[in-house]
Amino acid sequence: MMTAQDVGLTEEEAVYVRELVGREPSDLEWGLFGVLWSEHCSYKSSRTRLRWLPKEGAAVVAGPGGNAGVVRLDDAVEVAFKVESHNHPSFVEPVQGAATGVGGIIRDVVAMGARPIALMDSLRFGSRSTAIREGVVRGIGDYGNAIGVPTVGGEVFYGPGYAKNPLVNVLCVGLRRPGREIGAGGARPGEDVYLIGQATGRDGIHGASLLASRDFSQADQDLRPTVQVGDPYTGKLLMEATLAALATGRVSALQDLGAAGLASASSELAVRSGVGLALDLDHVPCREARMTAYEIMLSETQERMLLVLDAVHGEEALAAIRSWGLVPKKIGTTTADGQYVLTLQGKRVAVLEAQWLVDGCPLKPAPAPRVAPPPVGTGSPPEPVSPQALVAMLADPDLRSREPIYRRYDSMIQTRTVWGPEHEVAVLRLKESPGGLAISVAGPGRWAAVDAYSGGAGAVALAVARLAVQAVQPLGLTDGLNAGNPDQPETLTAFSQMILGIRDAALALGVPVTGGNVSFHNETDAVAIWPTPIIGAVGRHPRPDRPWADVVTQAGMRIVLINPPTRPELGGSVWERRAGRLTAYPRVGLDRLRRTVGWLRQALLNDALGIEAVRAVAEGGLWLTLVKLLGLGGPGGAGIAVTLADEMLAERLLNEVVGQFVLTVDENHWPEVMAELSALQIDSSVLGRTVAEDGLGLTVGSGSEAFTWHWARGELLAAWSAWEGA
Amino acid sequence: MMGNKVAVVTFPGSNCDHDTVWALEQLDAEVVVVRHDARDLPACERVVLPGGFSYGDYLRAGALAAHAPIMDAVGRAVEREAVSVLGICNGFQILCERGILPGALWSNTSGEFVCRWEWVEVASPPAGWPEFSTGMRFRLPVAHGQGAFRVQEDGLAQIWAQGGPFLRYVDPTTSRSTGYSPNGSVDGIAGISRGRVIGLMPHPERAMHSVFGSVDGRRFLRMWLGGP
Repeated sequence: MMTAQDVGLTEEEAVYVRELVGREPSDLEWGLFGVLWSEHCSYKSSRTRLRWLPKEGAAVVAGPGGNAGVVRLDDAVEVAFKVESHNHPSFVEPVQGAATGVGGIIRDVVAMGARPIALMDSLRFGSRSTAIREGVVRGIGDYGNAIGVPTVGGEVFYGPGYAKNPLVNVLCVGLRRPGREIGAGGARPGEDVYLIGQATGRDGIHGASLLASRDFSQADQDLRPTVQVGDPYTGKLLMEATLAALATGRVSALQDLGAAGLASASSELAVRSGVGLALDLDHVPCREARMTAYEIMLSETQERMLLVLDAVHGEEALAAIRSWGLVPKKIGTTTADGQYVLTLQGKRVAVLEAQWLVDGCPLKPAPAPRVAPPPVGTGSPPEPVSPQALVAMLADPDLRSREPIYRRYDSMIQTRTVWGPEHEVAVLRLKESPGGLAISVAGPGRWAAVDAYSGGAGAVALAVARLAVQAVQPLGLTDGLNAGNPDQPETLTAFSQMILGIRDAALALGVPVTGGNVSFHNETDAVAIWPTPIIGAVGRHPRPDRPWADVVTQAGMRIVLINPPTRPELGGSVWERRAGRLTAYPRVGLDRLRRTVGWLRQALLNDALGIEAVRAVAEGGLWLTLVKLLGLGGPGGAGIAVTLADEMLAERLLNEVVGQFVLTVDENHWPEVMAELSALQIDSSVLGRTVAEDGLGLTVGSGSEAFTWHWARGELLAAWSAWEGA
Repeated sequence: MMGNKVAVVTFPGSNCDHDTVWALEQLDAEVVVVRHDARDLPACERVVLPGGFSYGDYLRAGALAAHAPIMDAVGRAVEREAVSVLGICNGFQILCERGILPGALWSNTSGEFVCRWEWVEVASPPAGWPEFSTGMRFRLPVAHGQGAFRVQEDGLAQIWAQGGPFLRYVDPTTSRSTGYSPNGSVDGIAGISRGRVIGLMPHPERAMHSVFGSVDGRRFLRMWLGGP
């Protein structure tokens, strides 16, 4: 006999279940409630707060709630995209945990009827978690490379809280033609329900309800068997078979099987479509004999998809599936009575309403959405800046080259990648449209460590700024929200503040949030992560065959800094953390950023302004931006010589406030550029020039007090490329 | 000049097939896609085995695909010298596993998948393709986990006795092809040929436009198709 506690429900929730059902539920029914009312599936701590986010936008085709958000790129292309986390499995078993994370989000995008064309991943590790990092990177590569979806970018950051709570958030982007709307909501009564893909095994049972819905302790290595195992080969066949079935036009609805397996997929589909469902579990293909109804419903075996087919013409879809070597199995029918009925060996083993499972869980009420004031006492005293310290900083794990990671990912397959992981924004050329696609991802947890509101806003600001340097307007955002235990009031408060930061930035910048993912309980042995917002953004690139440069190409250009810092704002920066402190990341000037990115998007298209290269300042501040502007990846087109005032040198060089942009502008046109900015009340200043002498020169101060530091390209490159243990 | 009807074979798990078809069509080749379970090749002058992870690379990369029904047809056509065959990446692995080309592709010595741009140089033009002159270089991407070319000593001796391998990697620091490879290939071998069969690890179909980093793949495929 199973109890409510066995399946992770609280006493109050158990009472509520009995009230809903009107009797003592069976073991299987308790299991279904347990898994679907888990934090991971029910969003019970987050759902009321996620309502704060703006979701309306002119380009939005499908907003939050589905398997992925969808935005319209142009008349020929719609873009489905979402970020999803696979944090807990990646700690317990890094290779398989990360691999199935990739597989899972790819299936989500396929379930929107879109062909996956790009991946990005946001990873967080402890600075000494080399084994976890290497396993995760291998898992991502094993799956993405084999299934043939390029990894076109991503980000990696480190922090102590991530040592036993690594984050693996994967963003997948797919394309579909307009008019091909499909999802879990299209089924009608009297249709056939099919399951395709892997046979169901005993793997991953309770993966979601237990693994991702509670904190960890040292004793949890025994959870390893609850991690699913990925098979990219079957994933590839499943992807092709599903897309081929959809192309026949005979699929009414579909839902991929992820967390909570068949239990979640089938009840979700029933609720979205507003139909009843009768499933005969004897027809579910199983890998092992004598699996119980409980195991069949809760298994998280990967690479499975649930399809509802037109009762008359379904055979066309079935033929398409079979051509990929998969054997579709009919496991039930949709009904008109609204009941969710599971049968095993002729016996009805569960009779519920799907609505109870999907929407019945009592939600934590949200407080009034009130933005907390910024913490006082921020802005730490600067460390003195020295040329040696600046070079040493380039080797910081948060800043150094990511090449040793991304060279293990196929970034070019599908032949769309114009700019891949060596850039801060991905630019894809589309075969389906003359327009291109730009994708960015951002979310340093450091920025949210002290003031989660600032971090949330900063992540959105950076994702949008990274598109703006390619004249791209974001059409939608996806948010991966990672935090500790939501039952701790301070964790939940920080989580709320993080969402409010995202809300305010999204509203100010005029971009909707079309979907995402929440991962709580990133907490092991009572050590939690920093609240970590991962923001992905997509938009239409106006000229993908000619991205605006992000490195200097010739001498004789002016270097202009937009929105130079006016206050000592080193909070949340790598420089500050290296000095052993971490204060609040500053509140980004959202209105100023809105005006700036608006100007950039039209100024870049105006060739007469002579803007050549452009970069957004972010982690590592102006210093790393200038180093990267030099173009460390190649032979270099020119050197850089800039001058900064002596006062507040560290704050000018190393603060990470989003809103600053560095441009190189033609010698004849920079006054025009600055006049345009000034007319919009956007500050800018000339930092220096690109010069024939290679390397980076920094003059500090003016007049007789001035002094100059100079670094050769090779010295900067050597520090930035230093990579321990890989 | 030979005709330009090209059969591109798709195995379950192939993932560069679309890119390869797209690349060949840009060169005005007439492309027909052939399934792994076809018993015969369509009427064509050329066959491409594209990259990917056929049958999930289970057992060894290319080992299962080497025994797919279509490979019997390819094998027969090769024996009759009726077609030219190009195996790219996984296609190269399949040709070696089938025994149509000598040697085998082992796991990279780094133990890691590697995706990056490389220069390759023609060490010895394949018979029938004088356009590929010795010393000619191409900048092409590699993307593989099992690309270390290995062959028994007499096989290697034979390759050199016949003028050398088709393609060798060029060391990016010295700009010479003296054994450098990104994967641990013996003698830095990136591609080999036997008769009208060519296999190479780099991906010419990914280097069709300067926006992708190189147009050398376009040049390579055009020459393979018999163009100037």
